[in-house]
Amino acid sequence: MTFTSWQFGVFAAIVFVLYYLPALKAFQVQVLVAASLFFYGYGQPELLPLLAVAVLGTYLLLALALENRRLWLPIGIAFNLALLAFFKYKFLFLDAHAPQLSSIAPIDFLLKLPLPVGISFFVFHNISLLVDLTRQKAGRPTLTAVFLYIIFFPQLVSGPITRAENFLPQIKPKYLADVAFIDAAKWIVSGYFFKLYVANNLNEFTSYMDFPHYETLQPTDRWLLVILYGYQIYADFFGYTAIAIGLGLLFGYRLPINFNLPYISASFSEFWTRWHISLSNWLRTYLYIPLGGNRYGTFRTYLNLMIVMGLGGLWHGAALSYLLWGSLHGLLLVIERPLLGRLNKIDSTVLRMMRIALVFFCVTMLWIFFKLPNFDHALDYISGMFMPGKNPNPPKLFYALALLYALPVILQHLRFDLLMEGRLKKWEPYLYGLMLALSYLEAGPETSFIYFQF
Amino acid sequence: MARCGIAAALLLLACRLAAAWLGGGLEMPATTTGDGSLYTLNRYFAGPRPDIVLVGSSLTFRLNEAYFASPSLRNIALAGGSPVTGLAIVAHQAPPPKIILVETNVLSRPVDETVVERYATGASAEPKFLRPIRALVAAAENFAHEPPSRDQLQAELDRLVAEQPSSFDNNVYLARVLREQDEDPSAIVRANVERLKELMALAEQKGARVLLFELPELPEVERARAVGITRAIVHAAFPNDDRWIHVDVPREQLRWADAFHLDERSAVIFARAMDKSIAALGAR
Repeated sequence: MTFTSWQFGVFAAIVFVLYYLPALKAFQVQVLVAASLFFYGYGQPELLPLLAVAVLGTYLLLALALENRRLWLPIGIAFNLALLAFFKYKFLFLDAHAPQLSSIAPIDFLLKLPLPVGISFFVFHNISLLVDLTRQKAGRPTLTAVFLYIIFFPQLVSGPITRAENFLPQIKPKYLADVAFIDAAKWIVSGYFFKLYVANNLNEFTSYMDFPHYETLQPTDRWLLVILYGYQIYADFFGYTAIAIGLGLLFGYRLPINFNLPYISASFSEFWTRWHISLSNWLRTYLYIPLGGNRYGTFRTYLNLMIVMGLGGLWHGAALSYLLWGSLHGLLLVIERPLLGRLNKIDSTVLRMMRIALVFFCVTMLWIFFKLPNFDHALDYISGMFMPGKNPNPPKLFYALALLYALPVILQHLRFDLLMEGRLKKWEPYLYGLMLALSYLEAGPETSFIYFQF
Repeated sequence: MARCGIAAALLLLACRLAAAWLGGGLEMPATTTGDGSLYTLNRYFAGPRPDIVLVGSSLTFRLNEAYFASPSLRNIALAGGSPVTGLAIVAHQAPPPKIILVETNVLSRPVDETVVERYATGASAEPKFLRPIRALVAAAENFAHEPPSRDQLQAELDRLVAEQPSSFDNNVYLARVLREQDEDPSAIVRANVERLKELMALAEQKGARVLLFELPELPEVERARAVGITRAIVHAAFPNDDRWIHVDVPREQLRWADAFHLDERSAVIFARAMDKSIAALGAR
């Protein structure tokens, strides 16, 4: 069930009504858990047992780790990583199209299961739960609370990755009078606008980046489409997260912000404090710092950065392109690290603009490996950006249309919101009304959220 | 929240009224072949019934209406679609066009029943709401690029035909096409041929003349398995020569940039040759 389907709208409305019904007040958490299970199992009920195994297994290991952290915490983490690794990377070793992968029926069934939606995200939630609660030596939460934390439907499929220590304390009775309707509406309208108006329409253009269509593109169009893809992936993911945050508010839960104008970053380290913030925080807290962070000298710091970013890339998918994408980001972080101190001391708008442009350029170029996970295709695309194409039938791209669809991302990064908070504050509701109408009128063809595949 | 709702409602109302007023007046920019096909069909139904209509796949889609001499010829070939879909749409018209020309190169795609149903009433399926951003761009495009006059267009096409054929090396694409055409589409081709027969009979009952044609392909592609099987099935089902419109075209002048579709120059050459064959129909 995708956020942009009418079925989801009906589902969310029903859950909202049930959640605040006085008769069900004592069962709010259970209502959300049941709704989340329904949401996850809708269309793919065969994956529900997997979800149950992941959550129940983690809960059991949590209970054991609260008694003996030294022994059971590593096992709990290994259990979750094994689940993730099995489903994410099994097709590197198996032929997905083979009629039979094992002579043992249950194993054959398991081997043929598709990548469970949201596994990358709920596994990270599980690990956060294990580490945070055992570190705090907290009391064991109820199974229902753990279920809710891990499978809360707004964040189940693509995050934001919420830390257990931030989410669990929010589990308490919620009241309709306390719902931040205006905030929730603003997030939800923004989310649908960025997804339907920006991302889905830009997808029509960037579909020419797919193989073999990109072979017909001239170099200038290849460059344009790379930039458009950068805007599209931002709008798509920001849109999803905004809807998730808005939905969370409707049910009384504050989910973390996942984006903070990433394309105005003046450095790569700044970029990772603005892009997919919840993932960056997770990797820093549970991987980079345990590896030693920057506490063991320069070489070890660089090594830790490369490991974290490389694994972060692999988290996205089992392909060389994702590993390369992550590793190149790691390399950029390593290269800029010794220069950052000096650069940040220089107070120059022109320099800052140049740095922003450089970061934007590098980040945008690296998105090619996301768009084209086949490494050969990615290299082929890049080489065509520097050589004139010979294909006599290049497609016609409507540049004005592309600009108009990309404009919200550009305006957002130019801090149009500051105008809204200032002199134009009284026009803000009308702007949201415009966005709402355009989300319907100019909705691009349906396409799934990019991060659903992770 | 109320002001938000009011703003949204006003914009929706404005776009609803604009759609009713403009109809198909503005040709929206098509960013995909899917879009393009729908605009083509909407334009077809919005205008007067033509004398001649072409139905086909993306191969026929390349034969722009402007390449033909007759102003009363429409091309509703569906890029990515099946010729049978196009025939199903026009065969249900009352009355259908006088001459319906059906491409038989690509019969391995199923009929798109959704599209057929959408246009079954013969009414244009224009969207209920104007898309303001696309309409703005369409208006700007129309303003900035006024379409050439017929004479200017013909002069441009004459210049194109007078050029030498393209020397673009399409071997990479040829290898790809040959791989794609190395399957056996018998089952679906047979089913489509049966449907073709029914639809042809339906159109002819209503007074249309339905003729089949084949677009030329690269020799290597014509020898490919799927192409050979399709041709054999179609010619076995329609053996009579008077079922076909034969287009006499200088093949040495034709080029296929992607090894499958005629390039623009070749499409013009083919269309002009087809014009002669259509004119000769009047004498038959």
